[in-house]
Amino acid sequence: MRISFVGGGTDLPDFYSKYPGRVISTSIDKFIFIAINHAPFTNHVAARYSVSEEVPHPSQLKHSRIREALLGLGIESNIEIASFAPIPARSGLGSSSSFSVALLKGLHAYIGKRLDKKTVAELACRLEIELLKEPIGKQDQYAAAFGGFNVLQFNADGLVDVEPVLLDYKKRMDFEAHLLLFFLGTTRDAASVLTEQKANTARNFESLKRMSDSVPVFRDAILHSDFRSAGQMLHDGWMMKKQLASLVSNPAIDALYDAALSRGAWGGKILGAGAGGCLLMLAPVEKRAAVLEGLKKAAVAGGFEGAGEIPVTFVQTGAEVLFNSSGL
Amino acid sequence: MEEYIRQFSEKAGALLRNLPTVEIAKAMNILQAAFERDGRIYVIGNGGSLALATHWVADFNKTVFSHNLSDQQRRFQAIRLPTTEEELTAWANDVGYDMVFAGPLQNYIQECDVLIAISSSGNSESIIRAVDLARSHQVPVIGISGFDGGRLNALADAKVLVATPKGEYELVEGVHAVILHLFTKYFKDYFGYIQQAREHMAREQSTPARAAGRAAAN
Repeated sequence: MRISFVGGGTDLPDFYSKYPGRVISTSIDKFIFIAINHAPFTNHVAARYSVSEEVPHPSQLKHSRIREALLGLGIESNIEIASFAPIPARSGLGSSSSFSVALLKGLHAYIGKRLDKKTVAELACRLEIELLKEPIGKQDQYAAAFGGFNVLQFNADGLVDVEPVLLDYKKRMDFEAHLLLFFLGTTRDAASVLTEQKANTARNFESLKRMSDSVPVFRDAILHSDFRSAGQMLHDGWMMKKQLASLVSNPAIDALYDAALSRGAWGGKILGAGAGGCLLMLAPVEKRAAVLEGLKKAAVAGGFEGAGEIPVTFVQTGAEVLFNSSGL
Repeated sequence: MEEYIRQFSEKAGALLRNLPTVEIAKAMNILQAAFERDGRIYVIGNGGSLALATHWVADFNKTVFSHNLSDQQRRFQAIRLPTTEEELTAWANDVGYDMVFAGPLQNYIQECDVLIAISSSGNSESIIRAVDLARSHQVPVIGISGFDGGRLNALADAKVLVATPKGEYELVEGVHAVILHLFTKYFKDYFGYIQQAREHMAREQSTPARAAGRAAAN
């Protein structure tokens, strides 16, 4: 899964067809695992996630991504697919696209094809955006497929450039030490926020342009370990994002955010499309404990059930086949 | 005599001052990713490059964790291929020298692994065969080459090229040894830093990153 810092929303075609979209993000040590099993003595297709489905043909699956992926590859029976995640869905950490990338990588391995990073990212975009008509951008599929800390650039011709941000271990760990990822407990539906945001792209073009242009500035701040400036940029970005769609925030989330700021955080944002999920804050290391304490109290006051810190470290690895029993 | 020595060291110094830093950083990120998913790192080379590979494997598997070897459950899995002279000669004798690396690599390779290929010319057929095999498995390749980089540099994901006139084996192999030691030193320092952080963490009940941040701030 991933943390996205600056530039979300510029990965929608309404924007990047007119101006290069940019996002800076890193993959984190939270992974979606998918197990795919060939089951020759069953005449069904099984999909096991938060529910368990067993149907005679993939077209009858309720899980839209598994259904379309299987239909697209012509896999019709004798297969079981199960998924595992460390954090509930719709947490704002890009888990649904991580799922699609892992699923497509795994299903291709299942039929004896090994996909490179770029191809699996493109196939996941095709599945989610073209086939399922989800109003989402392309950043999460690329973040999941490539792994690591990158600047992603979305070009008008549809191609995506992946430029790694080369942080040494000290800078990386120093940055991690200034970050606080706070799970809000409530889950949200990215689609409703993004549909509104997408409809507003024309109106918000100038804001999105500023967000895209601020990506290299944010990268340089991180490369120079200037976390205060980076925190301020997150704050500015979050203020801009709140204007993009009315559902991005709500008074309860604003109260949490203000609690973090009042305890000394420099700035932050809601991860993902907003309206719940995770709050990401940047704070001085010595204020971190106080900020967390403030967030916990505000979460209780705001009625966020199951809210709490998610400790994270950044990782380099992207989607991989960890075990292939077929030996193909 | 001294003039000759000075000229050589001038050339070596110039190469060291112009190391391909971005590509070396990419290579170290590839090694980091392999560690995260517990993948293996295969190292291959001919002649002096095979000696570099073997030396590096010894350092990387053990010395990286020398500060806390006994506590470190997850370690790097660097493997010099072929692992025995018997395998090398069997492949060379029975199948052909071009297969001395690709043949044994096929026995081990999994998609979560990494290949480091060391070749001064970048054009040894035996090396390229193994690189092609790795690429067909979507296994990332760190290419450590010299001269104009040859086919290895063109094919590699991390293109660590020590560019020299053709035939400057001594300079190229010498700088390759420095780069390989740089890989070792980086991860040794990195895991040493985590170890330091763990000591802070024990006192503060925090994560290694945060404790390291505090340790750095102090």
